[in-house]
Amino acid sequence: MGEGFVLSVFLVAWLSSAVRLAAPLLLAALGETFAERSGVLNIGIEGTMLLGAIASYLATLWTGSPWIGLLAAVLVGLFSNVFLAWMYVHVRANQVVVGIIFNILALGIASYTYRLGMSDVTGPQKAEMFEPMAVPLLSGIPVVGPIFFNHTILLYLTVALVAVASFALYRMRFGLQLRAAGENPRAASAAGIDIVRMRYVGVLLSGAAAAAAGAYLVLVQVGLFRETIVAGQGFIALAVVIFGRWDPWKAALAAFIFGAADALQLSLQLFQIGLPPQLLISIPYIVTIVAMSGMLGKTYQPEALMAAWRRE
Amino acid sequence: MRSLFLEKRLTPSDSALALTLTTALSVVAALCIGGLLMMPFGANPFLAYYQLFEAGFATWRGFGFTLVKAAPLILIGLATICAWRTGFAYLGFEGCLLIGAAAATWTAMQALPGGFLEGVPFLAFLPVVLLTSMCAGALWSGIVGVLKSRFGGNEVITSLMMNYVAIFVVQYLVSGPLRAPGDLPQSPRLPQETWLPYLFEGSRAHLGIVVALVASFLVWVLLLRSRIGYELIVTGLNPKAARYGGINVGARQLLAAFLAGGLAAVAGTVDILGVHHRLVDGLAEGTGFIGIVVALLGKLNPLGCVIAALLYAGLTVGADAMQRQAGLPASVIFIVQSLIILFVLASDLLRYYRVGSRTGVAVNMEAES
Repeated sequence: MGEGFVLSVFLVAWLSSAVRLAAPLLLAALGETFAERSGVLNIGIEGTMLLGAIASYLATLWTGSPWIGLLAAVLVGLFSNVFLAWMYVHVRANQVVVGIIFNILALGIASYTYRLGMSDVTGPQKAEMFEPMAVPLLSGIPVVGPIFFNHTILLYLTVALVAVASFALYRMRFGLQLRAAGENPRAASAAGIDIVRMRYVGVLLSGAAAAAAGAYLVLVQVGLFRETIVAGQGFIALAVVIFGRWDPWKAALAAFIFGAADALQLSLQLFQIGLPPQLLISIPYIVTIVAMSGMLGKTYQPEALMAAWRRE
Repeated sequence: MRSLFLEKRLTPSDSALALTLTTALSVVAALCIGGLLMMPFGANPFLAYYQLFEAGFATWRGFGFTLVKAAPLILIGLATICAWRTGFAYLGFEGCLLIGAAAATWTAMQALPGGFLEGVPFLAFLPVVLLTSMCAGALWSGIVGVLKSRFGGNEVITSLMMNYVAIFVVQYLVSGPLRAPGDLPQSPRLPQETWLPYLFEGSRAHLGIVVALVASFLVWVLLLRSRIGYELIVTGLNPKAARYGGINVGARQLLAAFLAGGLAAVAGTVDILGVHHRLVDGLAEGTGFIGIVVALLGKLNPLGCVIAALLYAGLTVGADAMQRQAGLPASVIFIVQSLIILFVLASDLLRYYRVGSRTGVAVNMEAES
């Protein structure tokens, strides 16, 4: 066995787990892109992911079908984000404050629901999970096949959603109106665009996507629910959105980089290299900080992000 | 005939009555929801709430735990007040707390045999450790402060990201430079003479609460009774007007960042020297965010922050006791705690309305038009 073989085994193990770790980040980031493009910074996606995780876990445990689990998560995500959208858009409360408190609330609700739902069950039970499906032909390609084409259906759907999101944002009337609401709501409103509606849609999309991302953690990665299952991945999705400059395809690349850094530090711990693994895993965060620092000139964020809107 | 009517105001009412009423209404509504959530577990909500308040406030031992929990919350709350009232929307308190905890651990480790602080009396050690950790925390938050004041960066996102970097710094420190021999990634146990002394017999309350109260007084003096504080608050209210008034806005924002980081770092110090006595991974557990909530509940006022922190800490201690004694999940109380704030925020809408009563005039006017 030559070095080339060892290298390819390492590459496959590393990058295929990178793809697996990146998918929930990407899913949440795609939704958040719509919220932020409409002018709302929805920090509540962290909590929404947790609600999606608990909903999908319990629904899958009770029905045995991960598809019903996914559906339950999306419904819970939509429902909880109606409340968030109302707080952001109608109450016009500080978006950062509402998001942070919602995350604490969601932790309480998830933990309460878990206690209630599992009161007559002893010990943790594994929920039914999505199984990997190899794509015919493509999965046979050496190295690339096992990295990209041997995953669960949820991953393929996520990638398809990137294309859908990009099309909706740049090629549809809806996307134009949404972006106008986030760039210059006064002008957009004068042009007859319903800002309130656009922002509600943006927040609801981010809620549904974040909840689905939470379901992904349960139904693809773990199979169980824990209060620590999300552990800041919603915040990382916020970084992915910025790193990807509020663009779906660039967000996909950004999510892959975050996933790759995460997967690499896991493998480095096995290899015992002198470099501290924490240095590596913090690189994407530092890059995000630099990207948002203003040092590189213009940041590409929507002009009216975080600004409450009131019709005059 | 007199009739009640509801009409919309142009601006929300900010009378003391309206504020007190909406806050009280929010608390009652949240407590009611909490009571409903207790029902499925077969508990009597009134009894549960009674036990909760008794455990958090009415027993000497329980109140000691409340003070232990309140100290870091007060300090994070004060940090929030300094930053947010200056218009610096900082969210990196969790990271500052960790950096402060690491700096305090390093300083206290110098009091181990062979260190340069060995044998230093506690009264001399305390200012040294507070100063070191405050400097470390201020430097940490200063990074975001410089990015904001020099380059106009978005401090919300950068400070959130800095929290993760801080977590990794602590992970690195406990698995490398500060690691004690043994299997677990943690620092050695700190020498007992560096621990914050307990205040009373039979209670876990330690000197940390005194540190927090002194800090509250100092922040109150600085922010509400000094020229610098005035400039900070004006900067927060309207940076453009502040600039016209001759205030160096960038410098004031940077000062607010330093204050916030220093105060949040003291919260970490208090937790390390008063509770954990060693540095471990996973130390902060959201204190840096709950402190923000506490500051908001106290309407970004130092005194309000102390009261809110005591209430919040007492509820948390009571919730743990409730979970142990009555088998009710403590999460009910966490839900109640966050609902209170969300309701207070949402009740702003109520303050846009005015309730009054009048005689039949309104009806006549409608009839005429």
